[in-house]
Amino acid sequence: MRAVLGTLLIGVAFGFSLSQMGFASWDELHAMFTFTQPRLLLSFITAVIVLAVAWRVIACFSAPRWSPRPIHPGTLAGGALFGVGWALSGACPAIVLVQLGEGQLAALWTLAGIVAGNGLYSAVHRRYFRWTTGSCVER
Amino acid sequence: MSYWAWWQGGVVLAGVMVLHWLVLGRMMGVSGRYTALIDRWRAPPPSEAEEALTAEELSAALRELTAAEFGEGALEAPLEPAAPAPVSAAPLSLGTHALFFGALVAGGLLSAVLGAGWTPSFAVRGAGLTTLVEGRPWLTPLLLGGGGVLVGFGTRMAAGCTSGHGLCGTSRLQPGSLLATAAFFAAGVGTSFLLQRWL
Repeated sequence: MRAVLGTLLIGVAFGFSLSQMGFASWDELHAMFTFTQPRLLLSFITAVIVLAVAWRVIACFSAPRWSPRPIHPGTLAGGALFGVGWALSGACPAIVLVQLGEGQLAALWTLAGIVAGNGLYSAVHRRYFRWTTGSCVER
Repeated sequence: MSYWAWWQGGVVLAGVMVLHWLVLGRMMGVSGRYTALIDRWRAPPPSEAEEALTAEELSAALRELTAAEFGEGALEAPLEPAAPAPVSAAPLSLGTHALFFGALVAGGLLSAVLGAGWTPSFAVRGAGLTTLVEGRPWLTPLLLGGGGVLVGFGTRMAAGCTSGHGLCGTSRLQPGSLLATAAFFAAGVGTSFLLQRWL
């Protein structure tokens, strides 16, 4: 129950915040990447700094087992491909869903692309690559 | 519409990440949820029976077998204290991932309803994107769909996206996250400056 309610509330809060920040707007994202409007970049940096402090505080009260995120052969290339795709489509994996919620139905193209790209990578990886990528969510 | 101030957005975003950890016991990672959903959809877990066995049932079955093999006396031997289970050992169900995705959509919808109003349409939004695709309707699926493929491929290859690497990984100074974030940001900047030539 806690997991269901938590997932629901955190998801709504996350989607609402991203939308209110302007992260779901192609123009705002483009303005961030071309340094014409510093707001989103400053928000991002602020979030990282607040989080760095928060993790320290949490680690004082408990011994959290956070998964390490090491560099592997796909880190650089994967990140770069993602960056190109983000700038073109104006969406990262969370944003595309927020855009759909906002009523930007053209983002269905983006969502289809992300699902296809994710599945495609798993096929390519099995066929050609030999490293372990780990995962964002420990499953 | 006016957006949140930079400090407001930053603090709220960080708060959501911390809540995700505190309430759900794992770091936020949206691309990992896509991977989980897609893998489960392509290859559903083979057996429900093994997962259905609870810890108590397993323990009882083991005790029964032990007693049968070594006699009841063997069960009186002191047991090693069980190691605490890792917080995120249990895989999330498909439904949980789907619920999170649905909640993200609901968050965007709520924001639109409370803001400028919810007026769904297939037309691209934003002056920049509109300029790019003006007179070239075939460019919309190419730009959004093609960009999406790169996002899906790249985030799975790098094992993380803006949330897992960009926010939660960099703030813990994880080397993989720092490199991935530097890479996607640099690529985003480069691509956007290239796009600027057509705007």
